[in-house]
Amino acid sequence: MTRDAAPPAVEMRGITKRFGEVVANAGVDFAARSGEVHALVGENGAGKSTLMSVLTGLYRPDTGTVAIDGRPVRFRSPRDAIDAGIGMVHQHFTLVDSLTVAENVLLGRQGQGFRLDTSTVERELDALGERHGLRVDPRARIWQLSVGEQQRVEILRVLHRGARILILDEPTAVLTPREAAGLAAALRGLADEGLCVVFISHKLDEVLALADQVTVLRRGRSVGTVDAAATDRRSLARLMVGRELLPEDRRLTPTAGTPARETVLEVVGLRAEGDRGRPALDGVDLRVGAGESLGIAGVAGNGQRELAEVVTGLRRATAGRVVIGGQDLTNRSPRAVAAAGVAHIPEDRLATGLVGGLDLAANAILRGYRVRPLTRGPLLAGRAIARFTDRLLDANDVQAPGRSTPAGRLSGGNQQKLLLGRELDGRPRLVVAVHPARGVDVGATETIHRLLREQRAAGAATLLISEDLDELLALSDRIAVLFEGRVVGEVESATADHEQLGLLMAGVTGQPGTERAGFDGVPIGLAADG
Amino acid sequence: MASAIPSPRLERRAAPSAVASAVVPFVAVALALVAGGIVLWAAGEPPVAVYRAMLDGAVGSRDGVAETLVKTIPLLLAGLGVAVAFRMRLWNIGAEGQLYLGAVAASGTALYVLPDAPAAVLIPAMILAGMAGGAVWAAVPALLRARLQVNEIITSLMLNYVAILFAEYLVHGPWRDPVGFGFPGTPRFPDAAELPQWGTTRVHLGLAFGLAAAGILWLVLGRTRWGYEIAVAGTNARAARYAGLPTARNILLVMALSGALAGLAGMSEVAGIGHQLQRSFSPGYGYTAIIVAWVGRLHPGGVALVAFLLAGLLVGGDALQMELGLPAAVAPMLQGAILFFLLGGEALARYRVTWRRPTPIPGGPAPVVEPG
Amino acid sequence: MGDVAAGSDRDVTSTASAARQSRRDLLRGAATASLALAVGLGPRDARAQDASPAAGPPIKVAFVYVGPVGDLGWTYAHDQGRLFLSQQMPNVETVYQENVPENPGDAERVIRGFAQDGAKVVFTTSFGYMEPTISVAEDFPDTVFVHISGYKTAENVGTGFGKIEEPRYVSGLIAGRMSTANRLGYVAAFPIPEVIRGINAFALGVRAANPAATVEVIWTNTWFDPPKERAAAEALLDRGADVLAQHQDSAGIAQAAQDRGRLAVGYNADMAPLAPQAVLTGPIWTWGGFYVQTVQQVQAGSWEAGQYWGGWKDGTVDLAPIGPMVPEAVRAEAEAEIARFKAGEKDIFTIFTGPILDQAGAEKVPAGTALTAEQLLGTDMNWFVQGVEGDPAP
Repeated sequence: MTRDAAPPAVEMRGITKRFGEVVANAGVDFAARSGEVHALVGENGAGKSTLMSVLTGLYRPDTGTVAIDGRPVRFRSPRDAIDAGIGMVHQHFTLVDSLTVAENVLLGRQGQGFRLDTSTVERELDALGERHGLRVDPRARIWQLSVGEQQRVEILRVLHRGARILILDEPTAVLTPREAAGLAAALRGLADEGLCVVFISHKLDEVLALADQVTVLRRGRSVGTVDAAATDRRSLARLMVGRELLPEDRRLTPTAGTPARETVLEVVGLRAEGDRGRPALDGVDLRVGAGESLGIAGVAGNGQRELAEVVTGLRRATAGRVVIGGQDLTNRSPRAVAAAGVAHIPEDRLATGLVGGLDLAANAILRGYRVRPLTRGPLLAGRAIARFTDRLLDANDVQAPGRSTPAGRLSGGNQQKLLLGRELDGRPRLVVAVHPARGVDVGATETIHRLLREQRAAGAATLLISEDLDELLALSDRIAVLFEGRVVGEVESATADHEQLGLLMAGVTGQPGTERAGFDGVPIGLAADG
Repeated sequence: MASAIPSPRLERRAAPSAVASAVVPFVAVALALVAGGIVLWAAGEPPVAVYRAMLDGAVGSRDGVAETLVKTIPLLLAGLGVAVAFRMRLWNIGAEGQLYLGAVAASGTALYVLPDAPAAVLIPAMILAGMAGGAVWAAVPALLRARLQVNEIITSLMLNYVAILFAEYLVHGPWRDPVGFGFPGTPRFPDAAELPQWGTTRVHLGLAFGLAAAGILWLVLGRTRWGYEIAVAGTNARAARYAGLPTARNILLVMALSGALAGLAGMSEVAGIGHQLQRSFSPGYGYTAIIVAWVGRLHPGGVALVAFLLAGLLVGGDALQMELGLPAAVAPMLQGAILFFLLGGEALARYRVTWRRPTPIPGGPAPVVEPG
Repeated sequence: MGDVAAGSDRDVTSTASAARQSRRDLLRGAATASLALAVGLGPRDARAQDASPAAGPPIKVAFVYVGPVGDLGWTYAHDQGRLFLSQQMPNVETVYQENVPENPGDAERVIRGFAQDGAKVVFTTSFGYMEPTISVAEDFPDTVFVHISGYKTAENVGTGFGKIEEPRYVSGLIAGRMSTANRLGYVAAFPIPEVIRGINAFALGVRAANPAATVEVIWTNTWFDPPKERAAAEALLDRGADVLAQHQDSAGIAQAAQDRGRLAVGYNADMAPLAPQAVLTGPIWTWGGFYVQTVQQVQAGSWEAGQYWGGWKDGTVDLAPIGPMVPEAVRAEAEAEIARFKAGEKDIFTIFTGPILDQAGAEKVPAGTALTAEQLLGTDMNWFVQGVEGDPAP
């Protein structure tokens, strides 16, 4: 690897980008050179995608500068970035299914006139694919290709436009291990030809196997760039999650003195598939007692969402059992699960838990509209609903102009308080909460945490899924860590710290040498034959 | 590099502007009249006189109003049917076929099942048969959608052709009037099958069906548990699943209700106007009903209003040729202009037009606060 | 001639001038003939004929059309009649509504609207208007309604129709002579007596000229749908027909034949301007005379409800000019036949005189006897003569 005096291919300095009150990037510095593979790692919400969106011209930074090959640039649109030689491969492909590979590559290119010269492009693609180990039939239609081949088309499209800086957003998330290995080899080859390859990831294995340099982002800031050869998984994990300890006084009062609590939720050998049909839960065992709160930690995409959905009846289990209050509720309807006393604060409140286009009253009664006093015969009881809604808004500190406001107009925090208030009304036996305070302001977070603590104090069992370690430590008695669909460790919150959890989340299960215990993929660096 | 010339772009509003929503229909009609007026003026016709003739024809006399009401009935009933399905985001494009099946079932009842029954028995029986006919026809796409996730737009649309051809088969074949000189069409219904008419006009009891249906639907949608379930499922299907609403059952029920209303439109058309089943007795009411439902914003009151206005537009259009000797194409041109501006205006209530120079932050989707 | 020309110019295509001129002659002739020879079932009133056309009191006459006036077919022929009427009788104000659907809701509204607006005579020119016409007539006893092609009458509702089978038979003679493939095609609207009668008359003409020829029928189930008519025509051409005939209201069939270098027989109005290389001739309607006669009778107070069924001799029907591709010998043969019909030596009953065999070869009409008017017009007319291929009751 040559480290000459030439300026970096990409140099970003002091990038700050706010979305409303959320600071996604806070003075981030980032530099990558030609000829290297550069990994950008960090937890969900660390600001990786925002930074790359700035680089590709999708967002304009509030402050900060971008220089390409040492020349300052100001991108007004993605088109400018493309013209500057930057190419992005998104996690979700942007190909037209019914067109051929060559046609997709031609699509959206300027100055082509009306006639598509596909035969020339087909020859060029054949040559490009041959050279970079990204072979795909340029005459095939996109729908005929596998996901891995489609990704190759995305990369070829970017290369065909003459990109010299290639950015990939979680490129292996959608690939089989074999495909991932092939991709790794191709990226290495591209770097060797002098391209600058940047890829976003939160899988430390592939980062270490593939990258020359690693930049770590945490909470919108860059915490450092390290030489991949000079670091290990443990130190990267530490950088990713930080090592701050939560002040003792913000932790839960231990309830460990109460022996032999009645078991409320029992999950045994649970397996389920994700949206793409790949295994998401791979034999999960959990137990939560009354008045106990179990936190689930993990990097996004390790099965947390699926776990919540299977427990609440929204997703089918392919094996295993879900027992709630002694009742086997495996693969029962969401309605049956709710009837057993399960409250569910879903991951995406506005897409799942609320009906944004309907008013607050309609949202308040979503769980209880079938029962008296909110209903009389087939009719809804308007007055009772109004009283109920007002009480719910009041009790949960929801600030709203009135109960006829559409729920979608409330701020995120107020939406979440309304949702919590509704779900926690009527003494649930089990509370399943997924990222309950994500994207809400500090005040609302306080209220939401208070509400969850009150439920625990009142004897409800809580299954709290979060990527925020502080939140987990503050609200849970125990924390189980999910990795690749399995529980790789469980710790008592009172004694746990960020470092320990961060390692578990990265799949590091303690003793050196067994680090890959929870990882069922083929190590990327070792499978570069594909 | 993009040029610095300002270009118009549509920006989505966070929520439909209330002011725009209220003003848009009036502005749209005014613009349509201006646009139509320019065409008329260019063709050498005085626009004001033309519009006056249309207004006169539609509501300028007792008979004009009566004919407008006659035309309102099928548009109102079928429009309500379409609206209730659309509320749950079930795109029932099959109102025309359901209307035909309703008419077929009602005709069969009048001619072959209860030909000798008194009106007090026969008319309720025809109502039930008509609604059942439409409901069964709508249940086919509903079942396919609820059980197999088959897109109901295609299936309901295709079933229109099946229904229309089935009706044609009947009037050309087994139900053909034996003394009709071989012309397609059933015999006339017995007198007991004719819906009572209002005075000497052709306004018939179907108007009461339509108004009652609008009222009942308004109550059902706004005041009942079932209406609430439809609203939730139609606004956020994932939330409906999350809350455990019986979505598959409601797809069936809502589509059946939608078809039943269209079927009632068909029944009232044959029992109130035609007094026999003929080929192409509906000039596309089931399709126009889609426009009625949309422009009426899927609200029963709005649907009633729009059905009346559209009927007036259709009836008033007659006057252009009958009285002014304009080509028959002028009326549909004006109708098309009004609908064009109305639907275009709807977009403006949801989007705002901004003139801007290319700015560093291109539009694209709203920034998401969950990057990385 | 000039006076007639002025009235019809708006619909005349520029290429048509020669053919059009002779058509104007025919129209004029038709008017004269029908005035002299009307065979309406009601008694004729001498005063009506003798009155100077312009002398009658002002009167409003309405026409309800099923198609557009520019269809160059059925509606066009009626509109030519309307224009003829307003030329002949300047005191008559004519109004019309085109494209009126045959569904009872719309048709009745339009008919009623004309009656309310003070029309004294309303011509409803499609079969589907029969029930609405009867229904409106009950409410307007002082208005005269004339329904074209139907069978129901009332105190103030008469019917009007013509023996189009007479020119159709002669067109069949010409077509039979012109076919070299001995296969002819016939695009037909509905399997109803009117259409079946026309097919049989045509086929009898074809077989009289060419006993080896067959006529294949395709039903479209529409009077006016140019793309559908064209599609049916192309199907027949694909199967080897070299002459097409039709009972449809548009010129799509003739154009399809021309595009394939084949021949066609038009209908309703002279279709030669639209497909000059293909159109041999065609049976056409000349309604003007009947309209003038009816309005004059109404003005004179002598009109009575009846069923008018006019023939070639009466000027209600005619044959379009014979095209230049027809050899002289065939033309002479046809013109001799035309003369016999015009003179009354032959008529529709002559055409349907036995021996006539049906499709299966069984004798339907014994030698020496003819079908009666009732047999021709009623539901008995549900069979095809020998040589027709197709199903008369699909």
